[in-house]
Amino acid sequence: MALTTLWDVAYFLASGLLYVVSRIIPPLSGVLSNGDLVWGLSALVFGAILLAASMINTIMLIWFERKMLGRFMDRRGAMHVGYAGLLQNFADGLKLFRKNTFKPRDADGLGFYAGPTAYMVTSLLMFGVLPVSTGWSDGSLPLSMLLALVIFSFAPLFIFISAWSSNNKYSLIGGMRSAAQMIAYEVPILLAVVAVVVISGSFDLNTIVSEQRNYWYWGPLFLAMIVFATGMLAEMERIPFDLPEAEAELVEGWNTEYGGMLFAYFMLADYVRALAGSILVVLLFLGGWTLPAYFPAALTSLPLAGIVVLMVKTYLVFGVFVWIRAALPRVRTDQLLRIGWMRMIPLSLASIVFAVFFVLVKCIPVLGCVPSMGG
Amino acid sequence: MVAEVEQKGRSKPENADGLILKPLYTAARQFAKSLIRPSTIIYPFERLEDPKFREEVAIESGRPIGVGQVWDNYRGVHALNVNTCISCNLCAFSCPDLCIDMVTVPGGDPKHPKKCPQIDYGKCSYCGFCSDACPEGCLSMTTRYELSTPKRAEMVYSPQKMFEIYQRKLPMNPIRLERPANEDSILLDVPLCIGCNACARDCPTECITMIDIPKANPKPGEKPAKRIWKEPVINDSDCVRCGTCISVCPKECLFWGTHT
Amino acid sequence: MSEMWVNMGPQHPMTHGLWNLRVRIDGEMIVEVDPEMGYLHRGIEKISEDRHYNEVITLMDRTCYVAGMAWEHLYVMGAEKALGIVPPERAEWIRMLSEEFQRLASHIMWYAAFVQDLGLMSPFLYGMRDRDLILDLFQSYTGGRLTYEYMRVGGVRNDLPEGFPAQARQVLDWLEPRLVEYDRLCMGSEIFRRRCDGLGVLKANDCVRLGVTGPMLRSAGSKRDIRKDRPYSRYSQVEFDVATADSSDVTGRYLVRMEEMRQSIRILRQALDWLEHHPGPVLADRLPRWLGAPYAPMGREGYLLKRNYPKGVGLSAIEEPHGEACAYVVNEGGEHPYRVKFRSPVFANLSACSHYLVGYHIADIPPIMGSVDVCVGEVDR
Repeated sequence: MALTTLWDVAYFLASGLLYVVSRIIPPLSGVLSNGDLVWGLSALVFGAILLAASMINTIMLIWFERKMLGRFMDRRGAMHVGYAGLLQNFADGLKLFRKNTFKPRDADGLGFYAGPTAYMVTSLLMFGVLPVSTGWSDGSLPLSMLLALVIFSFAPLFIFISAWSSNNKYSLIGGMRSAAQMIAYEVPILLAVVAVVVISGSFDLNTIVSEQRNYWYWGPLFLAMIVFATGMLAEMERIPFDLPEAEAELVEGWNTEYGGMLFAYFMLADYVRALAGSILVVLLFLGGWTLPAYFPAALTSLPLAGIVVLMVKTYLVFGVFVWIRAALPRVRTDQLLRIGWMRMIPLSLASIVFAVFFVLVKCIPVLGCVPSMGG
Repeated sequence: MVAEVEQKGRSKPENADGLILKPLYTAARQFAKSLIRPSTIIYPFERLEDPKFREEVAIESGRPIGVGQVWDNYRGVHALNVNTCISCNLCAFSCPDLCIDMVTVPGGDPKHPKKCPQIDYGKCSYCGFCSDACPEGCLSMTTRYELSTPKRAEMVYSPQKMFEIYQRKLPMNPIRLERPANEDSILLDVPLCIGCNACARDCPTECITMIDIPKANPKPGEKPAKRIWKEPVINDSDCVRCGTCISVCPKECLFWGTHT
Repeated sequence: MSEMWVNMGPQHPMTHGLWNLRVRIDGEMIVEVDPEMGYLHRGIEKISEDRHYNEVITLMDRTCYVAGMAWEHLYVMGAEKALGIVPPERAEWIRMLSEEFQRLASHIMWYAAFVQDLGLMSPFLYGMRDRDLILDLFQSYTGGRLTYEYMRVGGVRNDLPEGFPAQARQVLDWLEPRLVEYDRLCMGSEIFRRRCDGLGVLKANDCVRLGVTGPMLRSAGSKRDIRKDRPYSRYSQVEFDVATADSSDVTGRYLVRMEEMRQSIRILRQALDWLEHHPGPVLADRLPRWLGAPYAPMGREGYLLKRNYPKGVGLSAIEEPHGEACAYVVNEGGEHPYRVKFRSPVFANLSACSHYLVGYHIADIPPIMGSVDVCVGEVDR
């Protein structure tokens, strides 16, 4: 059995585990050879691997941001726990884990606890959908991109729930802002994605990436990429669009009342979303796990090469987000709405028109690219 | 409810170039610079009071930090040379926070125990008035600044502890106040003096000597008093102007003034 | 959403200290504000009445913890007028130098805090980094980085150390390009302009009526600067311009402060030139012993009764980094000042906040209050 996909790996691990157990306890071998059990166990192993990979990546992303932001600010970032501070975030997480989580007296218990949990869970769901390499997911999801965006847009709802139920005026204002700004950037994001769909002819992220093997979409769809990345900044609630948690006026906004592990959920989920958002940018516009043709084929056919390529690109994209965070102030709510409605939507519409035009002529000779559409 | 307050208009920026490239460029330039050497000083491992390190940083980063005597003048924990302390009380007098107590240290004679300052760093504001006032230069401030401790009682530094700091030969604050040349002297209101010897007994520098004077002008017919009257004479060049004599004088006959 | 009161403070990132801004908001719009001060009241004026003249200086550093030198200068000038003491020439120049360095440090600190309010993260660190160099300079001649205890009634504690002018010039050379960098990060950024333009407008008439002074008044176009209008110390002997702006909004205050920093550098260079060529004493002769340290304070009433010192009243005003500060020292002939009264510029600027906050958004509070440059230590004293 060739271990080409993650599912194969999970299946191999699960069946191997069951085999070992049945050899140790022979009477159980009849039960354990049940095909459904193997399938179920491998699904669990699949999920566990995915969870571990995404969490470790998220924590590395936080480390990456801390180090990079440090250099932008003329300082060093975390540097004492582990090599170059690699373990600092684990230490921080452990500290938050040890802290007492408490609820304000008048807060609504259900919303207060369910909000962060749902926020965390829905953010992690993203990684079940995103393909990170050719052999990542076994089956094909024809609408995986739409699914990813739908999961992405859950978050403001849970933010609003937890903000409202924590019974704090700052939190409430933050939650309202989050809900208000959602519409402003969701629409342009979707329109920008439509341009990608037009040019690639598919809603499947796998197909979109494989369509980019000859030329990446950031050339023809530059406008759409700008709109999408800006929207993603707002979606991740990072500076300059972190209005819901604007610390100067709203004291961290919707997570004012949260402490300990509940706060860690919010923090972690924010970075999970940042990671997922950066991966989406890479998948849609920067060629995913493909490399330009002048890289030797031997390099790209190495095992795990696709994942490494995608991760390097993701971290670079995230680096640009960090750069923006280091250099720009926060905008105001009405300005964000204006940017969303007055700038981003026309730009994304223009990029759709451009994509249609591009599909019609199949190529822009100036870019020297080869058309791959039309089969 | 509709607010009765009118929304203030916001003018559009007049000459903004509509771009965010300048800040991005500035941040990127700083990023490139700090890749070589960020300005952070990794404190417990790199210390600013180390002159070698200061020079290194100044050359590497191009920032003019810490050249010259920057650190030596720092007002940190006191160092006390117990041997030269004359127990004049001036430090305790001049302390605005009242954090200096004079405590007995071994070495004095039993009649006049030697007293040296003990400083409570929980109250001290590091103003340096005490070391300015010290006439013998035995109390001075060093560059030591790390005094965190889990116990409040450990914030009180005894003279012995400050003597240990002194023996470590840390760089002392070299800026010393020159005592003014034309300082006030201690004068004696002669008619009030009863010759009790208290000032000479308590003078830390022993610059007061009691000299014998005959009782002035006995009335005719009276025989001169048997008792020999004494009167303090103060040696101005040795006097440190601590005022101990004034405060011990029972008749308030000593006072500050200028020799006319 | 109906109207509600929000307490911004006493512990709030916007306040830069301890005070409470009660805001009534309708949605995101501010309908009414109500500032509450007094959380940091330490009774400095009252404590001053119980201290020797020189010992009050330790309190002045703590009155405004980002502009300690300016407050020392203010008090020392008032006390000298009350006591009839004239400091030597060189001491005056050193004081002016210290005050201008302090203005530079205070404005850089303001810049750092102000951009932090806007969410701009890295300039905060740049500002703190560059302010550190000025603190290094202060440390090299006073021995303290924040609480200097340097000035004395009748002069300053000690002369500048050897090599100080060269070192100071290096720092100024380093700072000048940094100011350009600061400008690029703020005025070069469209987002910054849109956040700040037209916010917190307070016209010159209202400023004068409400007692608002300093960069806030100058940003409204008024050319009012005590350093020019009633020159104290040796400000009449140096060349500089009064920075003004016309927009009377947050951007205007930003521009005024940036220009003031450049003017401070200009003054500093002249002061350094003068100090290099004019050595001399820095403490006046024949100072009364009861000024306090470095002399032995004498707690004997008998001593004072025997000598009659002239009584007097001293009023001094300086252009402090935040605005016009004023000190009133009454000398009733004792060892302690009979009464010390300070006029804090920030207190007036802050009290007028209902005139420049109402009608804006809640998101505009940090930039507007940041542009006021709040130092609560001197508000409450």
